[in-house]
Amino acid sequence: MTFVDLLMLGFSEAITPANLAFCLLGALLGTLIGVLPGIGPTATIAVLLPITFFLPPLAGIIMLAGIYYGAQYGGSTTAVLVNLPGEASAVVTTLDGYQMARQGRAGAALAVAALGSFFAGTVATFAIALAGPTLSRFALNFGPAEYVSLMVFGLLAATILASGPVLKAIGMILIGLLLGMVGTDQATGAERLTFGAIELFDGIDFIVIAIGIFGFSEIIANLERTGSEGVKLAPLSRLWPTRQDFRDSWGAVLRGTGLGTLLGLLPGGGATLASFSAYSLEKKVSKHPERFGTGVVEGVAAPEAANNAAAQSSFIPLLTLGIPSNNMMAMMLSAFMIHGITPGPTVLTNQPEIFWGLVASMWIGNLLLVVINLPMIGLWVNLLTVPYRLLYPAILLFCCIGVYSMSNRIFDVVLAAGFGLLGYAFRKAKCEPGPLLLGFVLGPLLESNLRRTLLITQGDPTIFVERPISLAMLVATVLLLALMILPSFRRTREEAFQEEEV
Amino acid sequence: MARPSGPAKGDRPDLLSAGLFIGLGALGLYMGRGLESGTLAQMGPGFLPRAVCLLLVAVGLAVGIPALRRPAQAIEAIRLRPLLVITAAVVGFAYAATPLGFVLASLWLILAGSLADPGGRWRQVLPLAAGLTLFGALVFIYGLGVQVPLWPF
Repeated sequence: MTFVDLLMLGFSEAITPANLAFCLLGALLGTLIGVLPGIGPTATIAVLLPITFFLPPLAGIIMLAGIYYGAQYGGSTTAVLVNLPGEASAVVTTLDGYQMARQGRAGAALAVAALGSFFAGTVATFAIALAGPTLSRFALNFGPAEYVSLMVFGLLAATILASGPVLKAIGMILIGLLLGMVGTDQATGAERLTFGAIELFDGIDFIVIAIGIFGFSEIIANLERTGSEGVKLAPLSRLWPTRQDFRDSWGAVLRGTGLGTLLGLLPGGGATLASFSAYSLEKKVSKHPERFGTGVVEGVAAPEAANNAAAQSSFIPLLTLGIPSNNMMAMMLSAFMIHGITPGPTVLTNQPEIFWGLVASMWIGNLLLVVINLPMIGLWVNLLTVPYRLLYPAILLFCCIGVYSMSNRIFDVVLAAGFGLLGYAFRKAKCEPGPLLLGFVLGPLLESNLRRTLLITQGDPTIFVERPISLAMLVATVLLLALMILPSFRRTREEAFQEEEV
Repeated sequence: MARPSGPAKGDRPDLLSAGLFIGLGALGLYMGRGLESGTLAQMGPGFLPRAVCLLLVAVGLAVGIPALRRPAQAIEAIRLRPLLVITAAVVGFAYAATPLGFVLASLWLILAGSLADPGGRWRQVLPLAAGLTLFGALVFIYGLGVQVPLWPF
């Protein structure tokens, strides 16, 4: 089938009433949680994962994807209007966006953000459609040795490109790997690390960990902070940007889109990294860098385009190689697994309707988001006045039902509460929990591929450097580690993430 | 800010991370002590868990030892109220769901969970609990077919 045929297949899948409805639902939910501070897309998707079990595979995945990129739109709204980033990826948008709002140009900032995001989303959708088949054909040549090297590279690169100290992130990955080993060993049938509990013989469910660490401990951490009251709002001005705004921002949108699409591909990349990098790039190429932070439209356009592009292009490694690059994609991976679909090169050939349906739905979802966001912005903003103390009981209930509904076991809910406590301890220790999820989903894959490789070579590990693709991955891993030891690189990395600590 | 009278040492969040890493690594080593390692060609069930635990302990030491010498940094204040209340509400829900039914379990979860926030007012919490329970029953039990009884009988 040609490219156009496949795209038509995708649109015919995505446009069915049910899939369209779930796309809209995902986009609405994404905007909602993007607007509400204190609930992020990770926690939301963790809560909704068990529900997708009741839906057809494509519909569930379309909805979850919609939440992820929808949150990028919603996060910018609060960043501009109340100087409160709804999502981590919207932190830089507050710098210039809120200043624009104070000058009475809030409407222009929001419109530029939404239109820039739509443009970026369109480009990233095409990037997935073009890169998907090529990359997955390449990945079909991968043997177990290549997969081992790719996963090692992916895991380590994810720690370096993500924020926070690298050593702690590596520790979190190791804990994730360890948790992934709990249960019956696939190869030998031995019980491992189960504390003798029968409930653990099948291993720990992803949803239990995700809801515990991202759902429960996030609620606890939010309640610790004072200020669970709603927010007071500034009035909203006219919506449409001036011609000057358009002229100033189109270059920034283009650069943000390009940078975001590329950064989304990298392990550990994704929306947050992209928006920070796009903002600093914009400052570097600008003729008047000193005006950044005082309400220039480029400072809103570039990061907003970048975070949306990256949110979408980070699907590429998952869909083509089966390797999630950040914790959101780890969630998506388990959403596929719930339906017995293992993402990777074979999905494209065996179930093309899943891949192309998702790609087409992303474009439709982006279009829906512009409609949802621009005319209805006043409605979303009013949601900010809802205090957190009325919201968290609802989240708590959804979390509990979600975990319970998996297999109707008391054990799972109690275990999730336990992971809530562990997640709380990680927060106090200032450990990012994201890498733990990555380690957890990749652990079993890594182990089985490692065993298969060494079984084939009868215990000879030199295969990893003899196969060229595997060697390239390992060299890249070593280079990344070497870079981390260089003090100058470390300083740049720390600077890049400095503003995120806010 | 260095104080003149011998500033205290120890980056507490990092020390806590080190403790968690080393503790979990040691726990894993202890739990997996009976598992066979096997050879590289025929890996036993204990090979990777042991390797990962040893690495975890090593990373824990690498995080912890430099943290001892860094200037003191406190852990953010721990407030026990949300921590204990949320955990108790969730565990209570788990044990109540099957014998007592969804309605009572959900009411318990929301009413007990609301105590986590000191600003809660009963006039808001009661209708919220009733509304969410109704919503949950309609969406999850009738809509999605989650297998939980509604009532205790």
